[in-house]
Order: sequence, then structure tokens, then C-alpha cells
Amino acid sequence: MNKEFSVVGKRVIREDGFDKITGRAKFADDYKFDGMLYAVMLRIPSAHAKINSIDFSEIENNEAISAIITSADVPGIKKTGLIKNDQPIFCDEKVVTPGDVLAMLVGNSENELRNLVKKAKVDYTELPLITDPAKALDQEAILIHPDNGSNLIVNHHVKKGDVEKGFEKSDHILEQTYTTPLIEHAYIEPEAVTAIPLGFNGVKIIGSIQNPFTARRIVAAVINLPLDKVQIIQAHLGGSFGGKDDTMCILSARAAVAALKANCPVKIRYTREESILESYKRHPYIMNYKVGFSNSGKIIAMKINIIADGGAYASMSPFVTWRSVVQATGPYEIENVHTEVRAVYTNNPYTGAMRGFGSPQPIFANESLMDEIAIHLGISPVEIRKVNALKNGSITATGQKLENHDVNLIQVLDKAIYAADFQNKWRANKKEKPLTKEFDFNNPVLQDYQYVEPDKLIQKGIGLAVSYRGCSLGAEGIDTASAYLSIQNDGTVYLLSGLAENGQGMRTTFAIIAAEALGILPEQIFYLETDTSRIPDSGPTVASRSTLMGGGAVRNAAEILSGRLKKIVKEEFKLSEEDVVSFRENLVFSRKKGLTAKFSEVCKLAYSLGINLATIGYYKSPSVHWDEKSGHGDAYFTYVYGCQVAEVSVNIGTGEVYVNKITAVHDPGTVINKLGAEGQVYGGVTQGAGYALFEGITTEKGLIRELNFDQYLIPTSKDIDVIKPVFVEGKDSYGAWGAKSLGEPTLELTAAAISNAVRNAVGKRFFNLPLNLEEIVLGKKLCPQEVKRGSLQ
Amino acid sequence: MRSTTIEILFPRNLSEALSIFSDAKENLKIIAGGTDVVTGIQQESKRFIDTEVLVDINRIPEIKGIEVRKKKISVGAAETFSDILRNNLIQNELPLLWKACSSIGSVQIRNRATIAGNFVNNAPCADTVPVLLVYNATVEIESLSSKREISLQEFLQGPYKTQLNVNEIVTRINIPIPSKTFVGDFYKLGRRRAVSISRITLAVLMDMRGGIIDEIRIASGAVTPIGARLTGLEKFAEGKEVNDRFFKTLASKMGEEIIKITGLRWSSEYKLPVVQQMFYQLLKSIEQRSL
Ligand SMILES: Cc1cc2nc3c(=O)[nH]c(=O)nc-3n(C[C@H](O)[C@H](O)[C@H](O)COP(=O)(O)OP(=O)(O)OC[C@H]3O[C@@H](n4cnc5c(N)ncnc54)[C@H](O)[C@@H]3O)c2cc1C
Repeated sequence: MNKEFSVVGKRVIREDGFDKITGRAKFADDYKFDGMLYAVMLRIPSAHAKINSIDFSEIENNEAISAIITSADVPGIKKTGLIKNDQPIFCDEKVVTPGDVLAMLVGNSENELRNLVKKAKVDYTELPLITDPAKALDQEAILIHPDNGSNLIVNHHVKKGDVEKGFEKSDHILEQTYTTPLIEHAYIEPEAVTAIPLGFNGVKIIGSIQNPFTARRIVAAVINLPLDKVQIIQAHLGGSFGGKDDTMCILSARAAVAALKANCPVKIRYTREESILESYKRHPYIMNYKVGFSNSGKIIAMKINIIADGGAYASMSPFVTWRSVVQATGPYEIENVHTEVRAVYTNNPYTGAMRGFGSPQPIFANESLMDEIAIHLGISPVEIRKVNALKNGSITATGQKLENHDVNLIQVLDKAIYAADFQNKWRANKKEKPLTKEFDFNNPVLQDYQYVEPDKLIQKGIGLAVSYRGCSLGAEGIDTASAYLSIQNDGTVYLLSGLAENGQGMRTTFAIIAAEALGILPEQIFYLETDTSRIPDSGPTVASRSTLMGGGAVRNAAEILSGRLKKIVKEEFKLSEEDVVSFRENLVFSRKKGLTAKFSEVCKLAYSLGINLATIGYYKSPSVHWDEKSGHGDAYFTYVYGCQVAEVSVNIGTGEVYVNKITAVHDPGTVINKLGAEGQVYGGVTQGAGYALFEGITTEKGLIRELNFDQYLIPTSKDIDVIKPVFVEGKDSYGAWGAKSLGEPTLELTAAAISNAVRNAVGKRFFNLPLNLEEIVLGKKLCPQEVKRGSLQ
Repeated sequence: MRSTTIEILFPRNLSEALSIFSDAKENLKIIAGGTDVVTGIQQESKRFIDTEVLVDINRIPEIKGIEVRKKKISVGAAETFSDILRNNLIQNELPLLWKACSSIGSVQIRNRATIAGNFVNNAPCADTVPVLLVYNATVEIESLSSKREISLQEFLQGPYKTQLNVNEIVTRINIPIPSKTFVGDFYKLGRRRAVSISRITLAVLMDMRGGIIDEIRIASGAVTPIGARLTGLEKFAEGKEVNDRFFKTLASKMGEEIIKITGLRWSSEYKLPVVQQMFYQLLKSIEQRSL
């Protein structure tokens, strides 16, 4: 850590912490307005059907219904999407996934509407289902979006060298296929939004919205109004993890359509079941990896073929899979690479952005494979990684030379293996052959030899994974951010950025950055409400970019204002040209004369002199470039690196995997808020452990089985023992003093580390997440034939 | 989602409650902790969808408290799991019950959920049921006109079904204090370590004399349609010599027994080998501890 910082790098309690734990913070559903109505969705229990007709005759005259909203009521575009406009606001022709909404009832009793909606008669014809992404591109596959011409959403590739020649030169070749499941974000707060009609002024929307500016763009297009007539305010957000983007844009649009038609505020709020049913998820991947390597472990060629299940709509699939194609080889320098990633349409729940964004899947595959190579060659997982690791000046798979920042991969690896005593434990736990027993379902009564000796029941294991991650959007698009800063004449400060607080602690991070630059305390900074009418669009709050990009903008704003203040100080206190003015602990110092004034006095002075102490800071990313045709380019302007070591206990009788410890070493660049950074690690690792061991949405005839948390299991605090965050702060010139990204890196490699630890414990490799009880004991997943809950009798 | 409102009554003593129940219809339901009732209503479960009146029994003193009555520990029907976990008598005399209660849900659930609610709801995965069965617990039931005490085994009829009539309430559960010669354990397997629906539960109480099984009581939950004693298995084991071979034989015999009871289901492929394996492990650990 830089010794000169006074607040950066310290442990600062988040500014919204007390309001949240005392219940004072207002979440989207806490807002109520006079005359507010509710809207309730009409759906059918089908994942693929042609809608012949919808008959509301039984309910249309019911007093409880103020309005029935269908596609015909949508004044603007009827289909939307973050990248492709393929998702109807209301599905009047076809349903392509079970979350699809046909129409909406509006009225003041939500309960009554929920009963009435069952009385709408929908005549529909079931269509053949595609639920297996591997079959989506078959010749005979039915087209889910016929306009698209095929079920292919996108196809990315990366090519470097010549893989076939590389395989010829290799001493060994391994080929494996890995799969990952469909994952729910599981934010604690289900979706909620209210739209308030403002007459000639358009509409105001308050909701649990991750990306207010994206929501504004989509709402404006759907209700056919200019951007300035759509004002979006973000309520306190109860978690998002990338999940309150598309869904919230569409819900905001539906609420706006209804509010304008009914001329009343209209609220939509989802139950957990509706939330899981309709919201998008993390992509399941099927990943085939073929790798050629030398006797010393040097990887010579890697060929990767990935199919991503995009579900029913394109959503963010083109960008999610782009990150995958860029990073799929892992943080290794490989001469010959050929990666193909295709995202396809199916009738499954649609998939989009989720923390990790196309990285947790290939990291699971790639880091499993690295361990397999090590085992194949009889070397350690550390050695195989060191032989191939990216270093300063290395060339990535996309042909980018890594420079201008510390390429700290080997540093984080060394720190992690030292902190966890990896090498000794790994060797001690290593199993030569599988310890799990084989069972024959035709002879279900156990034979004596199938019983495990009690002292062999629990097996310990240790495993590691490393990753690198391109920061921010990269070549996905224009990457800029703005921040508004206004200093009051008593030295207090207003701050607002165009990025959003999604629970990650961004406001506190920005307050620390501004406080550092102005030499004041974070408590003196009041962070304003996020409102699209008050601040420039700063792009979406995604890609672990807010600290990097928004932090850059905040620092810029603070430095503009501190520059103005310094000028006044020099003039007013008659300091010489070469003297240097600095702000610290609410005091103003001259290098030559020492303590000169209080910060608040200087602010008052500036005010009396008529100096403008408000500004908008701005940060634009350095340029990156990408050639989609050749699959080459400088994909991201900088990268971060991480290594996690997992220690587990596996019960080989039941298949339970308990996480004893995760040592998480990350280089996020400069740490701004130590407490916030540790929080990211605890949360990300826990989410990653859920990905490794428990989570997965499954379907039966296209319908979701796990619609609530009785069936969709996420880890509790009892399922993981110790999580130890360690930071290596590599130097970088970008953002605020080189503060980069941490949110996603903490999650993306945990499942791979745990899976490697399980391999170390039981001597058997698992290729399909999650490593749940059945997977460990039987090597496969088991699912009930029906979607109904057991307790619903 | 239901739109009709539900009336909630709060009787302050047992006789008030019994007179409410005396002319009760199917649309009246007792609510204790509500951890099954409320979620059932919310999920539109058939058992609760028609509920119009809920009778909250938490203010009835007669169905609270844990005390010793006639060599039995008598637990009030409305005792929560948190109450039970705080009770030394239970911890010392009925360690299997204590362990089962500690494995239920989370702190928040245990603060509300009651023991009677658990076995009256009688889900296949109700964690206290196998334990109460091996302790030979009996259930006290009252209505305005009658009072009866029957064994829990008799009381439980099938998944989510018991002998309870609409005009009745369970007042207490009475558990004979087992002699000190019994050793045993409770085992629960869930998909995670808290707030976890049991995949398998087992309860075993064993009286071994000179290396011979004098008496053994075995019950399972979640692998059988409801928590149940495996009497065939118990008979088979009695009088047998305790050794590793025999434990394996007994565990495999449990596999056979369960196939007989449930047939093969989607989950059997996993549960069958695992229940045998873990029954064997449980027997071994009980033997280990009693040495
Ligand atoms: C998140 C969660 C986790 C859970 N985890 C577990 C777990 O790990 N293990 C487990 O076994 N269960 C678990 N449960 C289920 C539930 O908590 C238990 O079954 C609990 O014991 C029910 O008790 P209650 O007092 O809440 O019952 P209620 O919901 O109030 O009642 C349940 C049933 O019993 C009847 N009833 C209650 N008391 C009486 C009485 N005195 N006389 C007659 N009838 C009565 C009610 O009419 C109703 O039919 C869980 C539930 C939830 C929501």
C-alpha cells in the first residue's frame, strides 16, 4: 500500500450500512404513492407455444380491474433487448420460455388480480421444445426466433498460431468435456418498480434497477418518448449480481405503459417464484478442451469448443461469450490457440449478465484441465501453472502484449501457496486411485466391500485455481464515466456518479477517493440519490468497472476542484509560484510555510470570491481494439490476477463436500476500502462455493423445478468455514491511483479450486458442476420426474 | 394467491381452545409456530388452501413447559425447538432428541417451530419423528369431551396424515426416560449444513450386554414414506453378537427392508446405497462410543 494515503486502503464502514441494518433504507417496494395501482402478470405453463387467442371476457368488466394491458397498448417498440431486439414486452404471438408474460392486469388489489388472472382464457398450441443447447443448431431443430434465420445467437472465435501443427509437436494430448449449470442470481430482494405518470413531463420510475440509464433507454423506446421525459431513480438495491438489468428494464417499461394508460402510479413487484421464473440467469456451458503439451508441461496447443445456452433471448449473450472467447485459455501463454464459442437459442430461461460474465465456466474447465495435465505428468499444480503463466510482456491468446501494469499472476500464486501451505498438503492428500465406491443399481443391497472403513469416510483435499480478468468493458463498447462533485462553503461535499450502488459499496469507495483527493474525511461527503436526470450517463454498472472507471471520474472531479482551491490559497496567502499546496486532515499546508489554513476556511473564501466549486469529473478508458474477423486484438486495457486455494473435506459415503478454508489472493490494483474489498471476497467466494457444490436450475418439459430457496440451495454461513482474503496491490496507471477490479474475480475461480480440491481428496475428477451429493457418489445428477414440490400435498 | 382473509383466534387457556375446536370444521387449523402452516398457505398447498380460521395456540399455558411426570419427560406441545435446546433435562436424558432439534432449520426457524407442529404435520422428513419413535414417545390428545394418550407410532398414519380429529389438540408429548444402558445416536443428511430438508434421517437406540444386542430400536425418516420404526430389522438384530460383519449385514438388511417398503424411486439410486452406508457408520460410531 502507498504510505502517503490518508484514507485510501483503510477500513471504512459503508455509508448506507446503518440504514440498511436498522431497516430505515427504502427499497423499491417501500415506496407508496397516492392512488397507486398494482400490475399482475398473465403467463401460461408452457415453454414453447403459439398463442391463438386470449379471452378476457370473464373478467374484463370486473370492478377490481382498472386496465388490461397487452402488446396493443405499447406505443413504441414492442420488442426490446440489450443487444438484439428479440424480447417482446408482452408476448402476444408466441411464448418461448416459461417466464414469458402475455398480458397484465392492473388494479388496486394485488391479491384479487392474482385470482382474476387465472380466469383469462388463453388458447395456445404447444410447439416442440428445444432444451438441449447441443441440439439447437441441428438441421431439423425448430427455430425459436424465425426472423433470426437460425438458433445461433452469436459465434466468436480466437485463433493464434496453428493448433493442428501444435498438436503434432506435442508429447501428450488430453481432451475433456466439462459442463456448468444454469445459475440464479439469488439476490435477496425480488424485483420491484413503480412508474408514476407526470403528464406532459413523461414518466418517473423508481425501482430496484441495476442500470438506470439502460432502463431509461428501453423505457423511452417502449413508450415512445424522448430520453428527457423518462426519469429513473434507483431505490436502495437489495442485491443484483448482474441480475437487475434486462428484467428490470422490461418491468420498468411494463409499469410505464400501464401508468400512462391508467393515468395512475403503477407498481409491479415479484414474488420469489415469479422472480426465479422470469429473470435471466447465468449461462450453462458445454466446453470441450483439447490440449497438447510437452514432457516438461509447456502447453503447445489448445483447442476449445464451447456451446453456451442463451435460452430464449439473446440478452447479453454476445458480450458474455465474447469475454469467454478472450479468456478461455486461462492466464497462460500458449503459442497455438483455436477457440470457438457459440451461444444458441433454446426454450430454457434466458441467460445474460451474472457476476463473472462468461468467466466462471471456462475457468472451471481450464483450471480442472491444468490439474489433469499436472497429474498426467506427475508434477505439481503449482509447477504446471508457473511453466505456462502470463508474465510482464507475455502475449495473450488474442495477440495482446501485457504491459503498462504489473502482471502479478505468479506473485498471487506464490502468496497463496505459501499462505495455505499448499505443496505439502497437496502431496500428503494425493490419491493414486479413486476412493469412491461403485454402485450397481440392479444390485442395490450393499456388499461388504462397498462399506467404507469409518476412519476413511472423511477425506481431506486441497486444490487451487488461478485466473486473470480483463477489466471493465474492453472492446464491448465505449467506456466512460462521470462524477459530480460540489463543495459547500463549510467544507462538506455532495457527490454523485453516473454509476449505480448495487450493494457493492461503491458510494463509500467514491467518497473515500474524493476525500483522499481533498484531504478531508469520507463522512464529510454526502452521496446523492441516483437519478438519470441529475448526472451524465456513465454506462452500465457492470464488468467490475465502477471503482476503476467511476473512481477515475471522481478523482478527476476532486482534482479539478482542489486545483481551484490551491490557486486561491496561493493567491490569498501570497505563496510563491514554486510552493506546493496540499490538503490533509481538513487542513491546508504549504510546503514552505507549513500549516496555512483550515479546509473549511478556504472553501468559505472561495465562495466569497465567487469561485465555482462544483464540477463534473470525467474518465475515459484508454482505447482498446478488436477484430472480430480474425479474433485478434487488445481486448482490455488492463487486467487483474487472482489465485484461490480451497481446502475441503469430502464424505465419500454421502458425497458431502465441506469447505474448510478458502485462501483468496487477489491483485485488484490499489485497494480503496479494505473493509469493502474483504466483503467482496467473502461474498464472491461464497457464491463461488454455491456454484461448485449446490446450485443449479433444472427443468422438466421446459418448466423450472427450483422456484424458491427451499429447492434452489445457496450456501449458508455454516457451509464454509474460513475465508481468508489476501491482497497483492500491483501497480497500474489507470483509474484512481491504479484501483482496478475485484467484484467478479473473487467469484470466478472458486468452483475450479474446490473441484481440484475434491480431486485431490478422492482421487477422481468431476467434470460437471455442481459437485452435489449425487455427482460425488454416483457421478451423475438425479432429478425427480415432476416439478411439483414434495410438500404440496 | 388467496384473496379471502383469514381470521386468527388467540385462546388464552386450554378450555377456551377446546370449546373453539368443539364445533370446528375442516376450514379451521391450529397454528403454533406457523412454519409449516404459513408456508403451506403461501404455496397454496391442498392441505391449507381452504383455511379460513387459524387458532394460535401459543398463549395456552397448559401446552407449554418441560417436566418429569411418572418417569417420563413430558414436553408441552407448543414448546419450540429453541426452548427444548435450552433444557438440561432433554440434553442429558434424551440426547437424540436434543441433537435432532439442533439440526432443524435455522435459529429463526427453531425460535418459532414447535415439536407438536413437527409430528402433526408429519412430513416424511420431519426430523424429530424417528427420534421420538425410538424413545417410544406417547402423545396426549384432548377434545372438549375426551382425553386420550396413544403411542406416536399409532398417531402417525401416513405422509401428512395423523389420527388427529378436527376437534382435537395435541397437548403434550411424553417420553419415557430410557435406562442408562441404552446408547444411541441420531443421524441427519441434508444437502447443506443449515436450513436443510433431510434426505436421510436415522435414529438408533441400542442396549448391548456383553457384546450381545439385548434390545435395539431403529427408525428412519425421509427414506421411508413417513418416519417409521424398522421392526423387522430390530427383531433380526436382537440377540446377535456385535461385530463389524454383523453391522454390515444389518445395514444391508436395512437396504432390503427399505426397498420392500418404498420400492424404487428416482432418488433410490442415491439414497439406497447411502442409507446403508451411513447406517453402518452410525452403528460403528455408537459401538465406538460405548466401549
Ligand atoms: C425454512 C424452514 C426450514 C425448516 N427446516 C426443518 C428441518 O430442518 N427439519 C424439520 O423437521 N422441519 C423443518 N421445517 C418444517 C417445520 O419448521 C417443522 O415441521 C416445525 O416443527 C413445525 O412446527 P410449527 O410449530 O411451526 O407448526 P405449524 O406450522 O404451526 O403447524 C404445523 C401443523 O401442525 C398442526 N399443529 C401444530 N401444533 C399442534 C397441536 N398442538 N395440536 C394439534 N395440531 C397442531 C397445525 O395445525 C399444522 O397442521 C422447516 C420449515 C421452514 C419454513
